[in-house]
Amino acid sequence: MKSKRFEVLANRPVNKDGYVKEWPEVGLIAMNSPFDPTPSIKIENGRVTELDGKCRADFDMLDTFIADHAIRLENAEKAMALDSLEIARKIVDINVTRQEILDITLSITPAKLTEVVGKMTIVEIMMGMTKMRARLMPANQCHVTNVKDNPVQIAADAAEAGVRGFAEMETTVGIARYAPFNAIAIMVGAQVGRPGVMTQCALEEATELLLGMRGFTTYAETISVYGTEPVFMDGDDTPYSKAFLASCYASRGLKMRFTSGTGSEVQMGYAEGKSMLYLEARCLAVTKGAGVQGTQNGSVSCVGVPAAVPGGIRAIAAENLIAMLLDLESTTSNDQTFTHSDLRRVARSVPQFFSGTDYICSGYSATPNYDNMFAGSNWDAEDYDDWNIIQRDMKIDGGLQPVREDDVLKARNKAARALQGLFRELGLPPITDAEVEAATYANGSNDMPDRNVNEDLKAIEDMMARNVTGVDFVKALDKAGFPDVAQNIYNMLRQKVAGDYLHTASIFGDNFHVLSAVNAPNDYHGPMTGYQISEERWKQISDIPNAIRPEDI
Amino acid sequence: MTFDEKTLRSVIAEVVKEMAGQAAPAAAAPAPAAQLAAGKMTLTEQGDAPKGAAPDEVVIGLAPAFGVYQKETIIHQPHDKVLREIIAGIEEEGLKWRVVRVYRTSDVCFIAHDAAEYSGSGVGIGIQSKGTTVIHQKDLPPLSNLELFSQAPLIEMDTFRQIGKNAAKYAKGEAPTPVPVRNDQMARPTYQAIAALLHIKETEHVDNDKRPQAVSVSFQ
Amino acid sequence: MDQERLMEQIVQQVMQAMKSGGSAPAPAASVGGKVTAQNYPLAENLADKIKTPTGKPFTSLSYDKVISGELTADDMRISPETLEMQAQVAESVNREAFAGNLRRAAELIAVPDDRLLEIYNALRPYRSSKQDLIDIANELDQKYGAKAAATLVREAADVYEQRGRLKKF
Repeated sequence: MKSKRFEVLANRPVNKDGYVKEWPEVGLIAMNSPFDPTPSIKIENGRVTELDGKCRADFDMLDTFIADHAIRLENAEKAMALDSLEIARKIVDINVTRQEILDITLSITPAKLTEVVGKMTIVEIMMGMTKMRARLMPANQCHVTNVKDNPVQIAADAAEAGVRGFAEMETTVGIARYAPFNAIAIMVGAQVGRPGVMTQCALEEATELLLGMRGFTTYAETISVYGTEPVFMDGDDTPYSKAFLASCYASRGLKMRFTSGTGSEVQMGYAEGKSMLYLEARCLAVTKGAGVQGTQNGSVSCVGVPAAVPGGIRAIAAENLIAMLLDLESTTSNDQTFTHSDLRRVARSVPQFFSGTDYICSGYSATPNYDNMFAGSNWDAEDYDDWNIIQRDMKIDGGLQPVREDDVLKARNKAARALQGLFRELGLPPITDAEVEAATYANGSNDMPDRNVNEDLKAIEDMMARNVTGVDFVKALDKAGFPDVAQNIYNMLRQKVAGDYLHTASIFGDNFHVLSAVNAPNDYHGPMTGYQISEERWKQISDIPNAIRPEDI
Repeated sequence: MTFDEKTLRSVIAEVVKEMAGQAAPAAAAPAPAAQLAAGKMTLTEQGDAPKGAAPDEVVIGLAPAFGVYQKETIIHQPHDKVLREIIAGIEEEGLKWRVVRVYRTSDVCFIAHDAAEYSGSGVGIGIQSKGTTVIHQKDLPPLSNLELFSQAPLIEMDTFRQIGKNAAKYAKGEAPTPVPVRNDQMARPTYQAIAALLHIKETEHVDNDKRPQAVSVSFQ
Repeated sequence: MDQERLMEQIVQQVMQAMKSGGSAPAPAASVGGKVTAQNYPLAENLADKIKTPTGKPFTSLSYDKVISGELTADDMRISPETLEMQAQVAESVNREAFAGNLRRAAELIAVPDDRLLEIYNALRPYRSSKQDLIDIANELDQKYGAKAAATLVREAADVYEQRGRLKKF
């Protein structure tokens, strides 16, 4: 006889997910692998001659880059001599300041960082995040994409996302050649929703830089680094080319961060028998050594790999903490589907959501998941109210707030009309009133009319050949009768001249005032310190439209 | 349970077996036998592939294990049928095709880009054993593409024919409507771990110093 | 203002800064001493010290001038002096690696977009011979005074050679 209970359990969503047993020999292990190197450093004449058990003659490209660029050598031997357990305990000790921790952790090797966080439980890791994240207040980022690459819908969804509170927005493409339209649409929509939202378009590295140079985007994030040399090569880069690329962005006044995550090396076939977390620590050391202000990490698009092995979700939180221990802006994934189970996907986000990180999701899908062209996010537009209620339940600031339908519809409609006007002024294929109407009320691309894809692609080619830039968008929007939107885009261009937002963990508050780890550093050192939700903000978070007012009964 | 545990086990078992018999991954790729049957297809390698000059050809680049060490995609589409569909799509547009095997990488974008560079028309198709496919053009950056079919579990037979057709149209200088993009947010939870294993298996046959090889194809 | 002369002036400053191990006096455009976190955000607290690479004061930028065409895309860019000030801000909060990146970036402002993209692509694996990379390093060094960027490219040339990542076919 078959058990009826086991039959019910077998049909639960959680049992539709893929799981594998650990296999340390090929790197199919989240952390604490028996094959991870023993931490070590040897410095002779101001030069690292041994790193994590390897001598310089045996260094691969990553070892060389890390040894030459990523570790503060003055204090390194002393810091490496500390017991890893002692460092782990200091991290959760409220009497040891963030700066004291950084003095140690910026001077230790990837294997040592891995060993330190390997001593911590998930709750201790969360405590570490609360103290070690760079910016005082948390924030959030969203994805704005759709399966048809419909720019009108992108503009409307971005506008709504701005009203809902996102500080950064990322788009990408189904069809690569659509990128310039998607980038324009998300920028226009974002500046309608809330002035000062930063926008990006995830693409092949050189193409992404080109769009940034032309003023189509304000920052970049998908600058991937990997933890082994062969995977770095398949990613078509080296630590040196990536470091150069980082400087290219800053030279054009563009904010940027690197991206990496546990599981990418296994996913791409060359983990060299090391744990996912150790390889991620190497990625983060490369990021630090390249002089980049921050990282998007937390397995990201490879989440299915660590999530399939024991302790994988803990490892993802641990890799976020390592980024913070390296004083990097920490943009903590929570951005990709990895499970059929609603319970599991909430649990996966608890460490970052409850502790608060510089960007909790990177990003939260601002569309229904069927339109999410990063292959689905852990949170989507249909979860907006769940996110808001969890913030209200736990009294935490996850970067969003409840909204009124009127405000959202107004913003969506204005963004769609602004893009319509911009397209008209730039001589791009027309956006019809019917498209504006559909985008205003749409939930997803199923509610949108089709565009003539070929006509759009031809117009894009022509527009790029004409060397259209951000300045042309400002002029076109002004001419189209949207001077306020044009002003906001002008203000984003102006910020590139000053470069304040290049700094660690920057966001824009009201009136394009930059808040970053420079002028708003995290100073948590125990209860009632660090970020405290203001009364005004708490009202915003807690005031949901569907709560019954006692006086009405 | 939609996750195919049996396939996974067999993949793991095979990889373990192969790993046991190998000193280093670099030395892994054995010289392929002259003839290798893959289901109802025979792939014969004929030395370094020449760069094509004919403007009416599309080159199909196969990943190192395609049709030899692996014989079906992640959703069990047989490789001989997959290749047949792509070829049929190209032929329907009246163009010629050529097959090469790329050894220097298992990354699908690079494979497609290599194919495009060897193609007289400058248009190539790259395909991995698990089914991930890219249409590429030689003047684009390697990690960009004309069309990318990144979610292997969603690529059905008719899509492969469409891919062949569209590649041929690009080669003719036309601007075809891209094959409609598909998206399933639950593909990752179900397939990512197994995709990783299949890719590890593919990657074991990479030979960094070997140029693309000409391949003749005969279907039985 | 003559853009080339400005460039030259900045290049000299940066080179001087590097000779003395990064502790050279702040560029003329900055306040008397070093710029620090106290001056941040510079757009609000040091607006009168910021200039565009075309020599226009930050405080003179306006929306109306963009609309009228008086300001172009070339004006809406960051200058080497501003990046140097931001690098000093970074150092004042112990972010030396980041400051180094900003200084390398300051050198690259003078390199045109197209050339910058070409150099980046040449640094990707299997794209260049060792001589190609050395030529690029010399170009960065001699044509643009980009010493730190040139050093990075030379390092890459050596490491790529050791690791077999130079152009193969």
